[in-house]
Amino acid sequence: MNHKPLALKILDVVSIVLLVTAAYLAIVVAPTERVMGDVQRVFYFHIGTAWVALVGFVFTAGLSVIYLITKDLKWDRIQVAAIEVSVMFFLITIILGSIWARPAWNTWWTWDPRLTTAAVTELIYIAYFMLRQGIDDPNKRARFGAVYALIGGLSAPITFFAIRLFRTIHPVVIAGSNAAAEGNFSMTGDMLQAFFFALFAFTVIFIDLFWNRIRLGEVQEKVEEMKLKAAW
Amino acid sequence: MKKQNVQHAPVSSQPSASYDKAVGAIVWKDLRAEFRSWELISSMLVFSLLVILIFNFALELDVKTRQSVTSGVLWATFAFAGTLGLNRSMAIEKDRGCLDGLLLAPIDRSAIYFGKFFSNLAFMLIVEAIVLPVYSFLYNTNLFQPGLILVILLGSIGYTAVGTLLAAMSIQTRTRDILLPILLFPVAFAVLLAAVKASGGILDGAEFSEISFPINLLITYDVVFIAASFMLFDNVVEE
Amino acid sequence: MLFQETTPDTSGYMIAGFALTFLILAVYVASIYVRNRNLQQDMDMLAEIEEPAVKIKARSTGRAEKKKVKPGTKKGKK
Repeated sequence: MNHKPLALKILDVVSIVLLVTAAYLAIVVAPTERVMGDVQRVFYFHIGTAWVALVGFVFTAGLSVIYLITKDLKWDRIQVAAIEVSVMFFLITIILGSIWARPAWNTWWTWDPRLTTAAVTELIYIAYFMLRQGIDDPNKRARFGAVYALIGGLSAPITFFAIRLFRTIHPVVIAGSNAAAEGNFSMTGDMLQAFFFALFAFTVIFIDLFWNRIRLGEVQEKVEEMKLKAAW
Repeated sequence: MKKQNVQHAPVSSQPSASYDKAVGAIVWKDLRAEFRSWELISSMLVFSLLVILIFNFALELDVKTRQSVTSGVLWATFAFAGTLGLNRSMAIEKDRGCLDGLLLAPIDRSAIYFGKFFSNLAFMLIVEAIVLPVYSFLYNTNLFQPGLILVILLGSIGYTAVGTLLAAMSIQTRTRDILLPILLFPVAFAVLLAAVKASGGILDGAEFSEISFPINLLITYDVVFIAASFMLFDNVVEE
Repeated sequence: MLFQETTPDTSGYMIAGFALTFLILAVYVASIYVRNRNLQQDMDMLAEIEEPAVKIKARSTGRAEKKKVKPGTKKGKK
């Protein structure tokens, strides 16, 4: 079996270092936010993971198109990896959001549109795996997966805009003003540093996990091939 | 046998006419079969009424509360009944071998999609047309407002558009029927949300400016998903 | 009384948040590792099964690639 490429081994180590450093910046270096206290620190990871997960999901839609055009199973493997890693990161996003919500809004969950959209999006991609599980033929599985990922990917931004139908209490930190939003805060220098570093760190970590997951997919495919041959 | 060859066989000098004919033929086939057996509509209808009954007990609605949840209850009912219809409609095609027959026919695959889409939509609208007066009767409200009819139409179109595609996929999997709601509901969430908001607004007598956004969203959703579904349908039914 | 809000102590939540983050990441990495190991084992087992079949094929020259040995008969499982 192929040995892990040196680049990937290095990336593994770099990822761990970046993760720890990001945590350090978030927990130790960044100043304590005045209104919410220490729990605000999870925000850096919350946004970091949200960013990579959402980029991952968008990337997935592109992969769907490429697979449907080329019908090369390699793209299917890449898509599975992208979705799996994104689902994992988005789960962290949702959990961190919930942990932040508890002291900030006094509730673990609210059917606030942004959270609801997040839950729906996560469910779409979990459904992706359930769809794949019910299909044995790899080509059919790849085709259906690609179609569903594309449909799901298209629906996500529309769902996001549907949130405008409701007032939201979700903080708007980056852009736009929303009088009803609670928990807004503006970021100072050290906070911005922690913020951008977390974004960078999670991007690298995503790529690392993604690459590892793709290699796992390649092994999976090889085993499936061998099983088919043995069945003869 | 290469179905691709069959697909491109010359049919007539007016390709669009034969396309419409193909779509029409499929719709007509489904409607005729349904009007003979009443299989789909009767089960969707009974199911809808049962769902409304359940909501009645689950929510213990007094007159005031009822008004605010009517649109939600209606759309939940339509969503569930719709799933039933979509599943059965596609399962019938597959089990009776109609789908294979359709695939062999010298028509564009997307015509199959539109045929199924229109017949599924017809069934859903028929059920909704019956549920509305029943609900009005049971709860002594007047649901027959033109705005509401429009929203129900738009919402059903969007739901059926993506539902037809996803149903075609789900009946080909091991888990079949169970999978459709899992696939459909998260994707249809936006259309259901917009429909509920728009319906609620109309029933409350809201200004047009308030409901223009959800209605625009519905139209956008319909256009996007009819287009996407019809373009992707090929990938879902090829052998 | 001075109206000055003191910063609430929400460090418990913070710790929970970071702990869960690391936990989920660790579990995911572990799952990749475990799946990989299981697949490697499967591959080794399948390679063993394939071996005798390959030998038989090598003996019969000019034949189309057709395995004669049923899996699992020759060699015992590890």
